[in-house]
Amino acid sequence: MSFRLAITLALTMLTLSVPSLAQPGGGPESEIMPAGLAQDSIEINVNFTGSTVVMFASTPQPENATSGLAVALIGPPLPQAMVQRTEGGEKMINFASAPAVFAVGAEAQVLVSAEREAFQRAGLEPAGALQPPVSLLTSPNLPAWRDAFVRLKKQQGLYIDDAADIRRFPGGLSRATITLPANAPPGAYRVRAVAFRDGQPVGETDQTLLLQRTGLEATLFDLSSQHGVVYGIIAVLLGCLVGGAAAWLGRKS
Amino acid sequence: MLIHLPIAQIAVDPLILAAIGMLVGFLSGMFGVGGGFLLTPLLIFYGIPPAIAVSTQANQVLATSIAGVSSHWRERLVDTKLGSLMLVGGIGGSTLGVGIFSLLKAFNLIDATVTVLYIILLGVIGALMAWESIGALRGSGGDPGRRTRLRAWTRVLPVKRRFPRSGLYISVIPPIAIGFFVGMLAAVLGIGGGFILAPAMVYLLGVPTRVMIGTSLFQIIFITAYVTFLQAAFNGTVDLVLGLVLMIGGVIGARYGAIASRKLKAAQLRLLLALLVLAIAGRLIYELFVGPLPEFELVSRL
Repeated sequence: MSFRLAITLALTMLTLSVPSLAQPGGGPESEIMPAGLAQDSIEINVNFTGSTVVMFASTPQPENATSGLAVALIGPPLPQAMVQRTEGGEKMINFASAPAVFAVGAEAQVLVSAEREAFQRAGLEPAGALQPPVSLLTSPNLPAWRDAFVRLKKQQGLYIDDAADIRRFPGGLSRATITLPANAPPGAYRVRAVAFRDGQPVGETDQTLLLQRTGLEATLFDLSSQHGVVYGIIAVLLGCLVGGAAAWLGRKS
Repeated sequence: MLIHLPIAQIAVDPLILAAIGMLVGFLSGMFGVGGGFLLTPLLIFYGIPPAIAVSTQANQVLATSIAGVSSHWRERLVDTKLGSLMLVGGIGGSTLGVGIFSLLKAFNLIDATVTVLYIILLGVIGALMAWESIGALRGSGGDPGRRTRLRAWTRVLPVKRRFPRSGLYISVIPPIAIGFFVGMLAAVLGIGGGFILAPAMVYLLGVPTRVMIGTSLFQIIFITAYVTFLQAAFNGTVDLVLGLVLMIGGVIGARYGAIASRKLKAAQLRLLLALLVLAIAGRLIYELFVGPLPEFELVSRL
């Protein structure tokens, strides 16, 4: 995308952006930033091999050498679980809600100037997004479980630390390109951007992104989940058809 | 090149999956085993969620078994009469096995039971087969003797019938009993049972190795069709796109496996199958004693 086109697109979207989507939470001095996504939905079909999400945001002024943007693609929230194996046996650790994807990225000056606590307050730390059931809230093992869960999700490529490429343009406009992994499940995602200055959040915005199945992908999923018996018959017939075709071709050759 | 799987919800390389399917299909066509005991761990190792891997492999095995059995059928090496009796026993045994599985699960004994059973079965079957086939290779390299003490029970029991394709005149009770036992183990272990059924047919019933391959595949067709339908209809864990890629690789592999099996002596085939079975047992022993499981593991919701 050329610079001029990017600026035109950004200004158009900033004009159309909906401030009500934003969810404040970065801190008392944090203001709502005007922002917009290049597209508000992404389609998953059989050819889907991951994508990128482009967000434009206008960061609060004035800026200094520590000013910069951090962004995160978060969602969809789902109940998730992991097993802990100890000498005493296996224990199931359930999270009432945890994002399936947590792809975060920040500009270098933000990573240098902001502490981990500032990222946590800004909702950009994956461990903070894991909601345990009430029974585990007071457990002393909760931080270790959260860390283990985040580590496992990183191994799956669903939680990413350096998922964003952020470019700054004159006048306080920033463009963030965030990686959406190929194994991201469909659902509603939150694209969150937080502006930092002197290591503290000074502006924030949240935009909604929908990841939805289309085409053959959607047909097969719907058939499997809503008409299981029909799907089962098709699966058996497909096996017979492929096996029969191979047998026929084998005879011909 | 990558494709996205609609049920597994991940992007995969179809060429790698087709190669996995081809390898397992080759072994299936060669030895008359379904290959599920090999395909499932390979798929999980590649990154397919376990529930999807277990269910979809049955769909692939269905296609490769049909492709594999056709060449054996043309050469009149499928004993449908014997296969049908074992199938009847297998359905009864697997129904009981599902009950035993639930009971073991309720007492939290399933993982330990499955692993130990697997190791004992694979180790004993593999070692006996290897021992016998090496001995046979020193002789004619053909099938084990027809009237061994091991098969005396098949001759003394009532309701005897002729099985012309296998060249047997035995009671119908042993094939049903073997089918029942294998079906029960298959349900408890979550496998097709081909690698247990195949040596049982050769050593306990006296079925010639070449007829065993076709007959075993014949039975596996019905078992895997049943499992595929149940898993797809009630658990929603069969991924048709994944299944199709595996099937295409599998049927090609099965074809070449069947060709390769004709170029080997019966005892050589049994020795290779024994080595394969022992390799799987070795891997399980390694996992149990040497390579411990990770402390934390995500649970798939699929």
